[in-house]
Amino acid sequence: MSGDGAVTNGTESGITVTVKSFATFREVMETQLVLQLPGGATVQTLLAELTARYSGLGGMLFAAPGRLRDYVNILKNGRNVHFLAGLDTPLDDGDVIALFPPLAGG
Amino acid sequence: MDGYAGNMVSVDLSAGTVAITPTPLELKREYLGGRGFGIRLLTDLVDPQTEPLSEKNTVIFAAGPLTGTGIPLGSRYEVTTISPLTGTASSANSGGVFGWKMKKAGFDAVIVTGRAEKPVYLLLDNGKAELRDAAHLWGKTTGETTDAIVNELGDKTVRVSCIGPSGEKLVRFACIINEKARAAGRAGMGAVLGFKNLKAIAARGDLAIQAADEERLDLVKERVRTKIQENGIEKALHDYGTAVLVNIINENYVLPTRNFQTAYFPNAESISGETIAKTILKRPKGCYACIVQCGRVHEFDGEAGEGPEYEPDWAFGPDCGIDDLKAVVRANNICNEYGLDAISAPATIACLMEMAEKGYVDHPIRFGDAAGMLALVRQIATREGIGDELAEGSYRFAEKYGHPELSMSSKKQELPAYDPRGIQGYGLATATSVRGGDHVYGYMISPEVLGAPEKLDPFVTEGKAQWVKTFQDLTAAIDASGMCLFTSFALDAQDYADLIAATTGMPIDTTELLRIGERIWNLQKLFNIKRGFGRSDDTLPARLLSEPLQEGAPAGQVWRRDEMLDEYYALRGWDAEGTPAREKLRELGLA
Ligand code: SF4
Repeated sequence: MSGDGAVTNGTESGITVTVKSFATFREVMETQLVLQLPGGATVQTLLAELTARYSGLGGMLFAAPGRLRDYVNILKNGRNVHFLAGLDTPLDDGDVIALFPPLAGG
Repeated sequence: MDGYAGNMVSVDLSAGTVAITPTPLELKREYLGGRGFGIRLLTDLVDPQTEPLSEKNTVIFAAGPLTGTGIPLGSRYEVTTISPLTGTASSANSGGVFGWKMKKAGFDAVIVTGRAEKPVYLLLDNGKAELRDAAHLWGKTTGETTDAIVNELGDKTVRVSCIGPSGEKLVRFACIINEKARAAGRAGMGAVLGFKNLKAIAARGDLAIQAADEERLDLVKERVRTKIQENGIEKALHDYGTAVLVNIINENYVLPTRNFQTAYFPNAESISGETIAKTILKRPKGCYACIVQCGRVHEFDGEAGEGPEYEPDWAFGPDCGIDDLKAVVRANNICNEYGLDAISAPATIACLMEMAEKGYVDHPIRFGDAAGMLALVRQIATREGIGDELAEGSYRFAEKYGHPELSMSSKKQELPAYDPRGIQGYGLATATSVRGGDHVYGYMISPEVLGAPEKLDPFVTEGKAQWVKTFQDLTAAIDASGMCLFTSFALDAQDYADLIAATTGMPIDTTELLRIGERIWNLQKLFNIKRGFGRSDDTLPARLLSEPLQEGAPAGQVWRRDEMLDEYYALRGWDAEGTPAREKLRELGLA
């Protein structure tokens, strides 16, 4: 996969998550990266880290602070976080987070 | 002036005659056009006991009032007949330019009965219609047929909807292709035309199509144009085509793989919309008046064509265990050239692959064998070798070898690219679809996976019956109107009602729009009931009800039919067998 990268800013007790991006998100960030986050991190923590790192991503993800744009979908290990605890969904070591902008087909 | 062309043409191929009559007001008012016209006319003209491949079966081509009126994405026409694959009253929808041309030639609908002695084609020409000899076109691909007709008429504005060799050979899932790459794809429409010896319909004309209230229509057009342009989903369709779905469906662990044995394909990226855009895409392409342009024009290694759309991309790819994009695209091009449904053909090959691997059929093909897959597509297209048996569809093939449970179909039509075990409402929509295994008669993927118009939990069954009913009825009305279904990601029922009211001058509000959709759905259902379909047909392959998914978030889940079906029937006003009650029929003006 192209554009693989890694950021290491976690603590010893931190967690490692894999982030995948799709469609137009790939215009502003890597296709896949591995991130270390502090223990207790949530989806919100992860998105804050990513939006700080990739300019342009914040506007694509959020309609307003703390509110995702319509039809943006974030999956944690294949489950839409909307049906977990939304942005407060806790992350666990080894999680795979997939970020999708609005899209459809048929 | 009401958005309609004004006339219909009835073609009796046995007698070699054509008769032009005005499009009846009542038909417009009660059924709009497209699929609505098709189902009403089929019901009126054809005995439900009719064999699909017989003189008596009738094929109806119909556009809608919004087709060709300059409304963004108002491009569609619909073909309706009794399907030789499923035996149900079925319709298939196509875009491109043909539907618009049919209306410019003066016709809202073409009704084809009988069987010609020798191959013919129908020319619709500025208000006139005539049958012409097509002996020289028999055996030609859809591209060759289109070019030959355009050349012999000496007019590049002519648009052609035709069958390829697969329709002539009565492949049960042969399709109809217009402009070389747009397909009325499902349910075997092409075989019915092949049986009738009708190779093509060509349309030319420049007759006016005018709305009842042009001023009001301009305002509504502007509103819908803005909504479509500002909708992020429509932008993704333009940038990546429909195959942008590959990754999101795979990441949800509901991308059927190797004939639905699993639902995650590790190499999905290699055939994704993103990869297509980066590698083989030459330019996006749209149907008539389309501002989205989800079509893909590709070029590589001397191969040139259109697509692949998401469905064939999945079916030739993950469903056959293949991650070779170029092989997938070649296979899709063969389907377009020969006129084969690019869902049923690959899904039937996937069924053979599983049967061969399990030793139920003696054949060397295995999952992942791209060269073998390509050879099989050609064999099916011309009914050569084992292709002759596969041309009957996966159900009949698997049944012949004693394992019908390995056909991933509903009502004998191959299922599309989503695993219902992890998307409960979608499972209900496809199981109850009146044309058999299908995704576009009620696209529940939109709320359950894509989150539009709102996010519904795909694992939950509660409340899904109502959503499915509403989606099915609204879709029937959209199909009848002539609009592309992809508008529904940006538009709501009010937008469609306003467009139809301004165009036709008929008093259509959202309630009436859904009533028309419900009327179409029930009429199609009634036809099927008379053909012997009932509750036991509203289901999915046993694998999906009994073998749980193994990976990812939906691991452990099966499709839970029993939690939804009774509620769905009750909401529809049907009895426990799925038969519409008298009251419901009275309410819809059908009794
Ligand atoms: S969105 Fe796609 S299918 Fe619909 S009208 Fe446009 S190009 Fe055709």
